[in-house]
Amino acid sequence: MKGRIRKREQDPWIASRVRILQGVGLALFFLLLGRLYWLQVVKYKEFLKLSEINRIRIRVVRAPRGVILDRKGEWIGVTQGSYDLIVTPVDVEDLDGELRLLSKVVEFDPGEIREKILKAKKANPYRSITVARDLSFEQVSVVEFNREALPGFSILVEAKRSYPSGPEFAHVLGYVGEASEQELAAAREGRFSQGDIVGKYGLEKARDDVLRGINGGRQVEVDAAGRDKRLVSEVPPRTGGAIQTTLDAGIQMTAYKAMENQAGAVIALIPKTGDILAFVSTPAFDPNAFSRGIRKEEWALLLKDPRTPLQNKGLQGTYAPGSTVKPFLALTALETGVQNPNARVRCDGSLRLGNRTFRCWKERGHGWVDMYKAIVQSCDVYFYSLGLKLDPDHVASLERSVGLGVLTGVELPGEKTGLVPDTSWKREVMKSRWQSYESLLLGIGQGAIHVTPLGMVSGYAAIATGGKVMRPRLVSRVVRMDGTSEEFPPVLQRDLSWSPHNVAIIRRALEGVVNDHGTGGAARLPGIVVGGKTGTAQIVSIKGKMIKSEDLPYEIRDHAWFIGFAPVSDPEICVVALVEHGGHGGSAAAPLVKAVMEEFFRLKQDAEKGGDQ
Amino acid sequence: MNVRKKFVRVDWPVFLLVIALCGAGLLNVYSGTRVFPSSGIPLFYKQMIWILLGVTVFFFFCFFSGGFIEEFAWHVFLTVVAVLLVVLLVGKVRGGAQRWLSLGIFTFQPSEFAKIALILALASYFSGRYSYEGLGFRDLVPAVGITLIPFLLVALQPDLGTAGVFLIILVAMMVIACVRAKVFFLVGVGGALAVPGLWFLMKNYQKQRVLTFLDPGRDPLGAGYHVIQSKIAVGSGGLLGKGYLQGTQGSLRFLPEQHTDFAFAILSEEWGFAGSVVLLLLFLALVYRMYYLASQSQDRFASFACGGLASYFLAHIVINVAMVCGLFPVVGIPLPFVSYGGSSMLTNMMALGILASLSRTRFTFQTGEQKSLSA
Repeated sequence: MKGRIRKREQDPWIASRVRILQGVGLALFFLLLGRLYWLQVVKYKEFLKLSEINRIRIRVVRAPRGVILDRKGEWIGVTQGSYDLIVTPVDVEDLDGELRLLSKVVEFDPGEIREKILKAKKANPYRSITVARDLSFEQVSVVEFNREALPGFSILVEAKRSYPSGPEFAHVLGYVGEASEQELAAAREGRFSQGDIVGKYGLEKARDDVLRGINGGRQVEVDAAGRDKRLVSEVPPRTGGAIQTTLDAGIQMTAYKAMENQAGAVIALIPKTGDILAFVSTPAFDPNAFSRGIRKEEWALLLKDPRTPLQNKGLQGTYAPGSTVKPFLALTALETGVQNPNARVRCDGSLRLGNRTFRCWKERGHGWVDMYKAIVQSCDVYFYSLGLKLDPDHVASLERSVGLGVLTGVELPGEKTGLVPDTSWKREVMKSRWQSYESLLLGIGQGAIHVTPLGMVSGYAAIATGGKVMRPRLVSRVVRMDGTSEEFPPVLQRDLSWSPHNVAIIRRALEGVVNDHGTGGAARLPGIVVGGKTGTAQIVSIKGKMIKSEDLPYEIRDHAWFIGFAPVSDPEICVVALVEHGGHGGSAAAPLVKAVMEEFFRLKQDAEKGGDQ
Repeated sequence: MNVRKKFVRVDWPVFLLVIALCGAGLLNVYSGTRVFPSSGIPLFYKQMIWILLGVTVFFFFCFFSGGFIEEFAWHVFLTVVAVLLVVLLVGKVRGGAQRWLSLGIFTFQPSEFAKIALILALASYFSGRYSYEGLGFRDLVPAVGITLIPFLLVALQPDLGTAGVFLIILVAMMVIACVRAKVFFLVGVGGALAVPGLWFLMKNYQKQRVLTFLDPGRDPLGAGYHVIQSKIAVGSGGLLGKGYLQGTQGSLRFLPEQHTDFAFAILSEEWGFAGSVVLLLLFLALVYRMYYLASQSQDRFASFACGGLASYFLAHIVINVAMVCGLFPVVGIPLPFVSYGGSSMLTNMMALGILASLSRTRFTFQTGEQKSLSA
């Protein structure tokens, strides 16, 4: 290494510069000493008093969640005031005694609350936490009356999420609840704190980022009993952003009401935009129960219910599509040129394949049927033979492209794909060869195939638009906390460019199902041409004789489907109804679709009338 | 120079001051963590291990020759810059900023080491440029460039506290490297004009902190709350303090980060004004000794590096104590040797080891050991 040493006598200039820094350092140290003298000697008494009594308590002021609107601006998710019971751990004198007293008035689990308070005490004993929400007027009075016996506890008015209509929107809007340990751990620091309310399900969860506000806080000075004496400082909370949905409250309510006590799903959407007008799953639950903190027994009851009220059947329930797949097979046949629509097949009530007999639903048989009649009468034998003729991969490809067996991309958490089988699935997943009976079953939507009602309505909407597959849209506009708004226009996912001639053949047949002595007559509307298709998804096959589904025990009764759109010439609405164990699609599901469409056209007429005046 | 001579020439006043400070820090960590212990090994023992490791690091760096350190200044600097880039890309997000790099068993903050690397790089640069007429604008441009690289990388993490320390180091070293007074004045004016620009670079939470500092009532749950409680802790200590382990503010969890950034609050609550003054005098003695070594050194690189290191400690001490007393916004700058923390302990010990090694050059002409210096 070269001699890098710059030898020198002590450089007087450098030495003097160092002295400057030393001087700066000395000055800063004196500044700090002065400050310490000021705090510790001059202001000593004041600070000592503050530290001795340390009567400053922290109250979190929870931010109200933003509103959720339907497409016409009606409020379907709002915020209400709620009387909450809070506790400041440090002021509690006899935790067990006080909890015993409170448990006589307030419904809660004293053990659970005790643990919660002890945990909060460890984290910050001066910060109050909420122990019970939404107390009644009587409960509030009793607590207030017994304040002397309940040091540390007090009543605070806080914001609570409320759904004016209750269970009607339960699955689509979801519900909110206190952030769980996992949610707190997964969130970035500062996103939310212990006891914050977050979206747990449905849209509340999917767009929690928009809906949640920013908590405010108060520092209050309290007296010896822990009562607020003086507000030291306050930062007001900020209300969360608003969401405008594509839902129509009127149609949603109608759909929910039409379901009555049946289990299942009804989804209505506008084919051209994918706008979801109604999204109902039954049985439902009351989302307001979650806002106030659901009780253990209520929760257990929901979990135990065999009809799974916590599941959104529209996108989480998967069912065999039954005859509702027939239009897709017919369309595959037309598009691939495998079958002439006028070609006729003889139905004698059954078809033999190898040594097995596959029956048509009509024991006597349909006689000679062409494609139109096969769809209108839902002839199984025609579609058995068509299934055998078609390449199963072509069928699967068309079904998937319209939304069956794949995610539709709707903005709700937990969507399931279901399954549309093809030969590679059979080979790779089932490790065996495709059997010809599977092609045959494909024709009537039985076998391995199972789909969600949402996938199904997406598929029929594609027939309604002539091959334009729109992504189901639930949120049309978001106005964020900072005032910026964002529009979410309809999204065209795929344009399948089917031959309009072929689509017209299918549509005409679907029109026949409802209006030409077909299986879906129950969906007929006066003045408006409805098209659609019934379906009955078998759960168990009864060997031997035909039994009417209605005569079977509930659990093994067939699922009933109906999917339709109207008006057939230029569809404005597409509706699916699935009734679990409902029996036949034509009798159980078609009337639901009719009811929803009736309401849609009635509302439309009302709006037009209103516009004229 | 043999090992024995090197050992004898370690700057013992610096070492003893550091041991005293570490001892005070250790007692304080015990007090700060006793009521609500963290899971796993108690922090008190962890801190003890950090101190022992730190002393090892100190002696390790002591035995390098000054020339060797100068030789490697740029390599170290470039390595650190590369690591900062990596942190920015893959670092762990803690408290909303990407400062940490996980090394399996522990995470460390490369930005701490970057301060030392910057000091060495600037010392090397300035010692090459030194002129008896003083340095002008042209000499400053590369120095500013050298500083801005780590500054921007750290500011993007975002850690404005540490980034600010880079700027302080640059200014202090400009002073020692004899930049002309007129140039200084103009740079000062330019810097003052740049402050509004900095405001736009800040993230919301940083702006919030600055605003909270200006008006502590603004955010009663967050930073403002910390400052108020920290002031109560310091103030209630009084002249002689509440006594060791008798503090109430800290033990009741009023204080945030009580054993790290707010360690001084616990100390002054329990030891009072008297204890605070003693601690500050220890720090003052350390910084003075470091500056003294800087002015005594016969080698320009050593002078500049020692001066930079002294300024680095000065900045940390003053910013941390001022923050605890409510004179400065809450930034994540620990109090050397007193706050709990491994990265900070090792960096500080390394800095002093380097200082001890460089300061040996003041013996150069007394013993004629030029050869060994360059070897």
